[in-house]
Amino acid sequence: MRPLDEKETTQVFEKLFKFTGPNLKHLLERPSVEGPDPEPGRYCLRLHKNRVYYASESLVRRATAVSRTRLAGVGTPIGKFTHGGAFHLTVHALDLLAAHARRRVWLKPDTERSFLFGNSVPKSALARITENTKSGDGVVVMSMADVPLGFGVAARGAQDCRKADTNAVVVLHQSDAGEYLRKEEELM
Amino acid sequence: MGGKKKNKVIPAPPLPPEVDDDEVLVSDEDVDFVEENRDHIHLITGIDKNSLNEVVNKLAAAREEDKLERLYEERERKRKAAEALKPRNDDDLEVDRVDALPVKTLQGELVYKTAKRVRSEDKDNGVESKSEDNGADPKQRFQKERKGRSNKKEDGKMQHVQPPVKVAKEKLHTVVLEEVKEELSAEELFEKKKAKLAEIGMAMLEDPESNIRSLNDLLIMCNDADQKVVKLGLMSLLAVFRDIIPSYRIRQLTEKELAVEVSKEVKKTRYYEYTLIRSYKAYLQKLISLEKQPYFYHVAVRCMCSLLDAAPHFNFRESLLASVIKNLSSSNNVARKLCCEAIRSLFRTEGKHRGEATIEAVRLIAAHVKLNDCQLHPDSIEVCLSLKFDEDLGKDESKQERVKPKKNKRYQNRDVTKPSDKKKIRKELLSKAREEVHADLRAVSFTLDPKERKMIQRETLSALFETYFRILKHSLSTSNSRYKATSVSPGGSHPLLAPCLEGLGKFSHLIDLDFMSELITCLKKLSGYTDQQDEISQDNGLSVSERLQCCIVAFKVWRSNLEALNVDLQDFFVQLYNLILEYRPDRDNGEVLADALKTLLWEGKQQDMLRAAAFIKRLATFALSFGSAEAIAALITLKHLLQKNSKCRNMLENDAGGGSLSSLVAKYEPEAKDPYLSGALASVLWELSLLQKHHDKTVSAMASNILSMANLHATQNPVQLSSANPLEAYNELSVLQELSKPANKVSSLKCRRKRRAKEFVALSPDVLEKADCSLSDGELKEKLRSHFAVLRGISKNERLRIDLNHTLSSINLYKEYKRLKKQSKKIEDW
Repeated sequence: MRPLDEKETTQVFEKLFKFTGPNLKHLLERPSVEGPDPEPGRYCLRLHKNRVYYASESLVRRATAVSRTRLAGVGTPIGKFTHGGAFHLTVHALDLLAAHARRRVWLKPDTERSFLFGNSVPKSALARITENTKSGDGVVVMSMADVPLGFGVAARGAQDCRKADTNAVVVLHQSDAGEYLRKEEELM
Repeated sequence: MGGKKKNKVIPAPPLPPEVDDDEVLVSDEDVDFVEENRDHIHLITGIDKNSLNEVVNKLAAAREEDKLERLYEERERKRKAAEALKPRNDDDLEVDRVDALPVKTLQGELVYKTAKRVRSEDKDNGVESKSEDNGADPKQRFQKERKGRSNKKEDGKMQHVQPPVKVAKEKLHTVVLEEVKEELSAEELFEKKKAKLAEIGMAMLEDPESNIRSLNDLLIMCNDADQKVVKLGLMSLLAVFRDIIPSYRIRQLTEKELAVEVSKEVKKTRYYEYTLIRSYKAYLQKLISLEKQPYFYHVAVRCMCSLLDAAPHFNFRESLLASVIKNLSSSNNVARKLCCEAIRSLFRTEGKHRGEATIEAVRLIAAHVKLNDCQLHPDSIEVCLSLKFDEDLGKDESKQERVKPKKNKRYQNRDVTKPSDKKKIRKELLSKAREEVHADLRAVSFTLDPKERKMIQRETLSALFETYFRILKHSLSTSNSRYKATSVSPGGSHPLLAPCLEGLGKFSHLIDLDFMSELITCLKKLSGYTDQQDEISQDNGLSVSERLQCCIVAFKVWRSNLEALNVDLQDFFVQLYNLILEYRPDRDNGEVLADALKTLLWEGKQQDMLRAAAFIKRLATFALSFGSAEAIAALITLKHLLQKNSKCRNMLENDAGGGSLSSLVAKYEPEAKDPYLSGALASVLWELSLLQKHHDKTVSAMASNILSMANLHATQNPVQLSSANPLEAYNELSVLQELSKPANKVSSLKCRRKRRAKEFVALSPDVLEKADCSLSDGELKEKLRSHFAVLRGISKNERLRIDLNHTLSSINLYKEYKRLKKQSKKIEDW
């Protein structure tokens, strides 16, 4: 386990920035609630076997005691680096993103299933969308009961949605909660 | 021969055509008279025609008052210079021989009296009054003669004998009368002038066509030196114009029309219209020039406003409008209110001017705002709230047009395939005929073509929105510049922002959808939303109320247009979340806050659960901090949010931590700027238990009601206490609070203590005042004193009694104890 170097940090932050915008600072600087210490310190990112983990400093301190081969993970995994060096966010980051994301999209109840199977979101499935969504923004997909279902990238802005066709894609799927069932082996 | 004299020099009428001496008809009477008064004939024979012509021409040219005055002064000077040369007494007034009758001395000489010029003393009253009479009589005679003359103005014959004599007399008369006027007492003069004004006015109203020239008289009166007379003159002219202005616009006669021979009737009407227009123009110019003088400001403004009100269709409307709108932002309250009223009635009564005046007025207002860089009195924009637009103005006409070309294409294609010439020609003829008929109808009809009307309304709307957007941009730019300034900015530098926002809210359904997004971004910036969340929020130039109003307007706009799009205005919610914290009851308007709560949280669709929880928690804290009015507004909103988001009812449980719903944020952050990051689901609504014990019954009842929700099933709703929205509840409680503060200081305590039950009779404060005035202060004091003494006595009594009972019981107990002890001792002794 090692801390991320500059290039990797920029890549991770770029991806996260699409979702959180200026809230990104808050992500790392909030006082953490993990760990047994009375003062757990802040959160940080660590790289372990090509996966990026988001953990509090107290956890990380303790994890240094575990050997590299035996360490399965620290805190919450948020994404992984591919062979080619690109960074992808995985479904484990859903909670984190849902808490800090600025743009949200709500799906109608009957169309949730389609999204959970890995399909993109057409306009007909859209119940609500945050007002200032622009094309290319990171977006968290929620159900009407405010349960986060997954995340993706907005294909159209909020204004363009209005003029679009009913079957036009509004949100490009990136990751959803159904992956826990579908891709069980890949996740771990 | 009647002496046709004028007391004031008005431009002389054109001289009649020269008549040869031979053709002059001289009657016998004339001859006799001349024979008798041969001595005096030098007056007539001694007339210098050339100098007279000069004078007449000068007078004719000198129509403006300044020139006239200068002319008079010149003449005065010349005359005085001439007099100074003559060896005469300075006190003597030169009285013309015609004015003062000569006296024959005992010697048989004719002595022409000279009046003493008495300025400050009443020496020669006799002579004075004589000259007065001489001065007054001709004036009055003038009036009757003038009227008579004007009636017979087309009788040319009467005139040609008179002019030379008249003009001569005129010149000398005016010179004399000037001085005479100075000696007349001011009051009498005033009365006389008033009477004259009334006379002319009545004459005008009776028969406007024939008496149109007396308008000139009135105008001259307005040039008078006495300010009161000027005022009266202006007002009477106003009354006259209001009545005689026709219901059509008088246009310039074209050359063709002038060349054509017309009947007498038409000539008469033309002359009438011409004079009317001329005098109206002169009147307007006078008004505009007088408006600049502070003494006449009120009168001028009042006249202009009522003219605009009465005749918005008439000529010269633009200048009227321009000056009225200029006064819309004057610092003088009365004038401003007058102007506002006038413009409002102009907007409302579109029938008179077919909407053209509306668009001119709105354009002028826009230009005015631009000129003054948005620093005007709010009233100037508030008048725009009374504009009315057709409801279907926003509907796309372009849609219809888009459909048309398609149809035409189809028809064209069809025509190509069906080359039947006869049908085509017939169709063309028919359509042409139809068009012609339409054109004729449009030309003749007075009512507006619906298309025209739409066009006018559209232009008005665009001018109006231009103003609004300019104001918005101005507020934006000034608030941005204040970011950088370090000095504290003075409040109230956006006077136009409030009515602008109101107007936007009212006309929001007419805004084009393309502008909607821009408008909303603009409003967002105004309401103080910054992108960087953890920056120290810099002082926006706007106050909290203004920022709240921005949010409210944004929501109104959104609701009327974008709701169908399922767009969710998150940023405004974040802004409201922060603004609730910044509210201060004495500084900010609580009603605006209640309105904001109502618009954003109470109405409308379901909220996001996390956001709703954050608001619930913050509203609970808010309710604790301020008075009952704000508390009840907050509680109503709170209850509504809880009802809609049943998952948030976890906050009513005593179980902190939020469980699985709190998503990452496990601890409640009260200072968080973003509602999503506050972690409110992890908190508990302990404030409600405190609120249950609130001094105000409504608040405590509502708090208990909300707490009872905890025991209900998720789908059940608690008993409905009141269906008021937060704004109404706020108003109710705040009004009641005001009423509970009576006018009389002495009875304040009394009223509060007596007000135990909530049975309130809605009294207005003045009724309360009147009710209390029946007793005098001393009596009241005595009564209160006795009453409270009794009360205190009673309570003291009770307390003492309790004490007494207590001691008595303890004594009894002790006695019992003693007795028992004795008994037991006795038993033991046994």
